[in-house]
Amino acid sequence: MVNMKIKEVMSAVFEIPLESISDDSSYDNIENWDSLRHLNLILALEEEFEVSIPDEEVGNLVNYKLIELIINDLLK
Amino acid sequence: MVAMKNLKYTEILKLNKALEGNIQSKPYEIGILSNVTVNSLKEILEYLCRINRIEPKIEFGNFDNIAQDSASLKNKDLNIVIYDVLNIVDQVSEFFEDLEDEKYNSLINKLFTEIDIIFENLRNTASVIFNSFSSIYYNYNNTNFSKIEIFVKELNTYIEQNKTSNVSIINIDKIFALVGFNQSIDYRFYHSSKAPYTFAFLKNYVSAIEPIILRNSGKLKKAIIFDCDNTLWKGVIGEDGMDGIDMSPTTNLGKFYHLVQRIAVFLSKRGVLIGICSKNNENDVLEVFRNHKDIFLKEEHIVIKKVNWDDKASNIREIASDLNIGLDSMIFVDDSNFEINLINEKVPEILTIQVPITLSDYPDILLRNVYTYFNLVLNSDDARKTEMYKQQFEREKNKISFSSIEDYLASLEIELTIVKNDKSYIPRIAQLTQKTNQFNLTTHRYTESQLEYFTSDNKHFVYAMFVKDKFGDNGLTGVCIVKEDENNSKNVILDSFLMSCRIIGRNIEFVFIGYIIKELANKGYKTLCSDYIQSSKNALVENFYDKVGFNYIGNINGTKKYGVKIQNFEIKKIEYIKLVFN
Repeated sequence: MVNMKIKEVMSAVFEIPLESISDDSSYDNIENWDSLRHLNLILALEEEFEVSIPDEEVGNLVNYKLIELIINDLLK
Repeated sequence: MVAMKNLKYTEILKLNKALEGNIQSKPYEIGILSNVTVNSLKEILEYLCRINRIEPKIEFGNFDNIAQDSASLKNKDLNIVIYDVLNIVDQVSEFFEDLEDEKYNSLINKLFTEIDIIFENLRNTASVIFNSFSSIYYNYNNTNFSKIEIFVKELNTYIEQNKTSNVSIINIDKIFALVGFNQSIDYRFYHSSKAPYTFAFLKNYVSAIEPIILRNSGKLKKAIIFDCDNTLWKGVIGEDGMDGIDMSPTTNLGKFYHLVQRIAVFLSKRGVLIGICSKNNENDVLEVFRNHKDIFLKEEHIVIKKVNWDDKASNIREIASDLNIGLDSMIFVDDSNFEINLINEKVPEILTIQVPITLSDYPDILLRNVYTYFNLVLNSDDARKTEMYKQQFEREKNKISFSSIEDYLASLEIELTIVKNDKSYIPRIAQLTQKTNQFNLTTHRYTESQLEYFTSDNKHFVYAMFVKDKFGDNGLTGVCIVKEDENNSKNVILDSFLMSCRIIGRNIEFVFIGYIIKELANKGYKTLCSDYIQSSKNALVENFYDKVGFNYIGNINGTKKYGVKIQNFEIKKIEYIKLVFN
């Protein structure tokens, strides 16, 4: 459930099809993932999961696996 | 339709994407000038436009380059200027509260100059939204003023006093209050990316500027249709009877209905058409409007009533056609889930409002919609609109007894008065260009400041027509804007020709255009060019220029082009319409 939601958020923010997002998706292989969209991604994740991502983690959320890890952590 | 503030950003992105490319209209061009990062405003604003059937084209200026970019991003349909105090104060190297007077003065004078430049550059933009300056970020103490607060006050006074008439100031403190300051600003991203605003703030901001966008693009509503039982009063007249229904200003629940009736009366005075659509016996309902001791909304405020047992979707469609307005110009208010869903399903163009279960919220919800969707500036024509629509019905009824339509029209004793470049009518002319959809050849929308410019530049002629007949005075109901061809001073271009729908069907248009052509010929112009630009609503006038007798030149991208030599042009005579000069 969380996995799917994260991918949906990424798909909407980066304007790419949901199917193209895999567990290996990252800053390096998604072309639209620039610094402005990164900011929108963080805010959209916070809104979707009703969590607050700490400052020091913001810069770390650069691939799907890390996002999943941190969101799951925050949801505990 | 789900209110914007209840949608998550991701949902807005998806919905916006789904609407992209669905709207066939000339793009509504928006330029955003800002000294902070507001890129996520783009999709939220696009979505708001698209749900209102406006296709936006948004262009951002460079980051923190407002004054310079106001020169390159001008002449849009809308410019939004976001000049945030956060990033002004950040560029002061000292601690602001300790700033020496000399530096304070040079900073504020620099800003005044920039503001002057911005207003000057954007002078001819149809509409400008300028955010107020806010000191709420620096609220250290509630009992005395900080230097920043005084600074912000000075800036706000300056923009109020120096703004041009096309500028609307948005008080962002009100939005902060509505959203909550801590929910509005995210300092993490301000410090890392100069992006201070949260989605919650941006969504509410976009809702706050919605009325300006609607007004500008001619998307305002014209009529509001109320159900009766449990919408205008508490209870069901058919069951509870005259004594059982409640709309008293002094009872617990009655007072909310009383207030709603007062709002309806307030609207009718401002030219909004009030209608009733109720499943009831007509006599029961009429009895309430005529004789209930607490009724405030009276028959004189109501333009049209459909009280019967037919389904409401058909009734609503009939109301639209009787009033000669589009379905998307109407709001429908009802307490019943069933009726609201039926209308949403069958007539999705109509905006519906359901009476909330918590009645104390009812007047507020109604008012919020009313202030978004109606033009509430009082003008004398509006106040008489209900009266005029009633006269229209009289005329329709009268029609039947005459054998030919010409006889009937002749019996009306129609009189036209035409004025040219008269500045005192600019507000009404602007309103007509913004609201008229059906009898409108080009659907160009103009603001007051643009018309102000046209009436004074010697290259444009703005004609306004007043119509009167034996049943009453329709007021200013026709507009024609002509401009001299920049490349050929013997040629004129018919930029706009439009008439209010309540005077359609009387051949007035031929007399109006005939007069204008004669006047232009007398001025020495040789030729006239005109366009019919197709919109989703103006099929009525598709062949108007053919009927007038202009020569059809061709169709270019949906625009029908016409031309005519005007020196000896004769238009068909309409003997029974009298032209009056003053």
